Amino acid sequence: MSARTRSPLRAVTLLLSAGFALSVLSACGGGAGGGNVGGPVAGAGISSLAQLGEKIFHDPSLSASGTVSCATCHDPDHALASAINEPVPVGGADLDVPGFRNAPSLRYVAQTPTFGFDDGAPLGGFDRDGRAASLAEQASRPFLAEHEMANTAASDVSDKLSKATYAADFKTIFGNDVFDQPEVAFDRALTAIARYEAEDPDFAPFESKYDYFLAGKALLTAAEQRGLALFNDPLKGNCAACHPSGRGPNGEPPLFTDFSYDNLGVPRNAAIPANDDPTYFDLGLCGPFRDDLATARDLCGAFKVPTLRNIAVTAPYFHNGRFATLVQALGFYVRRDTNPEEWYSIDVGGAVHKFDDLPLQYAANVNVTEVPYNRKVGDQPALTPADIDDVVAFLQTLTDGFQL
Amino acid sequence: MQLIATIRAPSLPRSALTFAIGALMSLPASAATQQELEAQLAGLAGEVATLKSELARVSQEQKNSMTALAAVPVQVIGETATPASSAGADSGLDFFGYGQVDYARPKDNPSDTTATVSRFVVGMSNQFDEKTRLVSELEIENAVSSADDPGEVEVEQLYIERSFDDRLFGKVGLFLIPSGLLNENHEPTRFYGVFRNRVETAIIPTTWREGGMLLQGSTDFGLRWDAGLTTGFDLSKWDPTSPEGKESPLGSIHQEMALAKASDMSGVFALNYTGIPGLRIGASIFSGDAAQGQLGFDDNVVTLWEAHGTWTPGRFEFAALYANGHISNTSKVNLTFIGNPTLIPESFYGWYGQAAYNLLDWDENSLRPFVRFERLNTASNYSDLSPGLTPENGPDQDIITSGVNFLFAQGVVLKADYQHFHGTGGSDQINFGMGYQF
Repeated sequence: MSARTRSPLRAVTLLLSAGFALSVLSACGGGAGGGNVGGPVAGAGISSLAQLGEKIFHDPSLSASGTVSCATCHDPDHALASAINEPVPVGGADLDVPGFRNAPSLRYVAQTPTFGFDDGAPLGGFDRDGRAASLAEQASRPFLAEHEMANTAASDVSDKLSKATYAADFKTIFGNDVFDQPEVAFDRALTAIARYEAEDPDFAPFESKYDYFLAGKALLTAAEQRGLALFNDPLKGNCAACHPSGRGPNGEPPLFTDFSYDNLGVPRNAAIPANDDPTYFDLGLCGPFRDDLATARDLCGAFKVPTLRNIAVTAPYFHNGRFATLVQALGFYVRRDTNPEEWYSIDVGGAVHKFDDLPLQYAANVNVTEVPYNRKVGDQPALTPADIDDVVAFLQTLTDGFQL
Repeated sequence: MQLIATIRAPSLPRSALTFAIGALMSLPASAATQQELEAQLAGLAGEVATLKSELARVSQEQKNSMTALAAVPVQVIGETATPASSAGADSGLDFFGYGQVDYARPKDNPSDTTATVSRFVVGMSNQFDEKTRLVSELEIENAVSSADDPGEVEVEQLYIERSFDDRLFGKVGLFLIPSGLLNENHEPTRFYGVFRNRVETAIIPTTWREGGMLLQGSTDFGLRWDAGLTTGFDLSKWDPTSPEGKESPLGSIHQEMALAKASDMSGVFALNYTGIPGLRIGASIFSGDAAQGQLGFDDNVVTLWEAHGTWTPGRFEFAALYANGHISNTSKVNLTFIGNPTLIPESFYGWYGQAAYNLLDWDENSLRPFVRFERLNTASNYSDLSPGLTPENGPDQDIITSGVNFLFAQGVVLKADYQHFHGTGGSDQINFGMGYQF
């Protein structure tokens, strides 16, 4: 069974959630507004707590190597995604420990609803498997992960914070004795990062060409229009089924994700060192990094649908960074079932090992019912190469920083 | 219901009555001879005959006027013109209601057969003084309303009415828009067929109500006029992923005064002529910007106009209506929807003709077969987008409905009909229904 089910109620719920998140952002005050078009209105500046969070976010001294910060994998100059077009980041004290998943963009991350189930379908949550319940909880993991900032414990981070150039600011906000309790200091640092991610307008600028287009201030080119039509068409790309392109019920700009989970059967990526072990599988919702849904076997292989905002500048794609370009990623969507030999490994006997990044027993979890996956070998793909070019042209309109 | 209650009876011919009574009072009984008395009695008999005749004519005119003004295709036997009071004559409080229970069986898809309490409506009015009253209606659709059930609970009307004189009334609050034959008279005893006709559902979004102010006046020669300033539609409610906009363009963007966006107000104007007994002709126009000042929407004026008529010669009843809707400046919004299944049409229309016959009529019972032909198109034209992106115009849909209404008791009706659909992709279906109104 696929993790995806869709109901109008769920769509409304998540849109309302997103709308609520937007209104919370607005209420937070925001920062110096840029070209925000139709998103939450930015206020005069971010709070002192968020400003502290910004310093922590960008501070490489908080890592074991002294060279890795949150911004290393979430670079403001690359839409808060990794600047390095590699499938997984490398971290650790000596920068020699490879990661397991592609670092996602943090743009619009604060709009994510809390993880839960709606009509039995998983929804929301932070991280690609939704295991973090909040921005602060999500922020804690990289500090302590062996393959990222590689601190050994909260006290390790607290000790580094106490020596940071902004330690005085930290004490001003949280008290002079805050570092006496390392666990508390670490928790406060995570709170500050969460505030920064929620308040700073760079995390939700809503200033793409598409935002201007929705506001009636810019026109799409012919190719971009064709791409949008293919993107929305339920018989062609059907992309909008998971990545809604229209405004929400209260006029909120689209986030291009419905926060659902889907199992796409993305091919195994040999460039991830962990995949050298043939018994290792990243199964998303049911493990290995998330453990509370380990027995929910029908969810094995499902990952959270990401936003497509800034997708053109946040390569590589999918949870395992399997594809380096949008053309490849879209080609996989529409030719996965018509031409599986283009994507999957070949068995010893010469047969295509479809869905080769899933144990055999979970292959049935892959979504094979919805457009464009509802095909078989010999069928025409839902999109032609020219169509794919048009969709890519449209996806490029989702990049923030558009100037009229 | 509220409309009937506001209709005032034409003035009775008081001159004849006054003359007769005056003649009796002036009789000098003691002085009159038998011959004189006989002559006077004969004269009085003549006056009484004249009076009876005049009363019968006025009564018939009044009946025809109420029938036509209220656009009642079905005359409810024994129906009273005002709500039945259950709270005492002195309190000014009245209760009324109507309801509808339906069964629909598609011929080709019997598994889609449904039965439902389509509507259960309770109404309350309160007469504050002889010029001022409150009218309210609360409706439950499809029996159960909850997060897991299909029903809805709606405040359908909530307005204060004030009479300025016998010919001029004002309404303020949430009221029905005077559009078409059905919108103001949508109770099941008042229309033929188990379900309301499609034109006055898909094109005119019956039961269509808005909030605002309305003036209603009438003239001596049988012309009623309505003019109002009201809330309107909200185009940001258009969902291009849903088929709802194809089913009823305006029904998918109406607001029903549920936190309605009211940046842009709309105007409505209607005329109805009932000066000839048994005949009603009328027309209305509603227009207003549905952009509601929202980002990405600009000058999206919704205009709906219609013309209608009813004629009841003898036992026959004929009705016809044409409605046409238009939404301006849709291209810019549609460009953001391209590729989705349901874009915003620039125009849509529908018309129908209906004939009924009072076949059997005894006591309070009446058996009335009818037939109705409807043609509608909910997307008869789209504004131009880029080549290859403009949707194909929608198909004309034809619906032929034939059946019978059996009226019995006071304000109770049993219905049965057969509907043939062409161009809708839908299966023919058989419908049965029960309705009441009091």
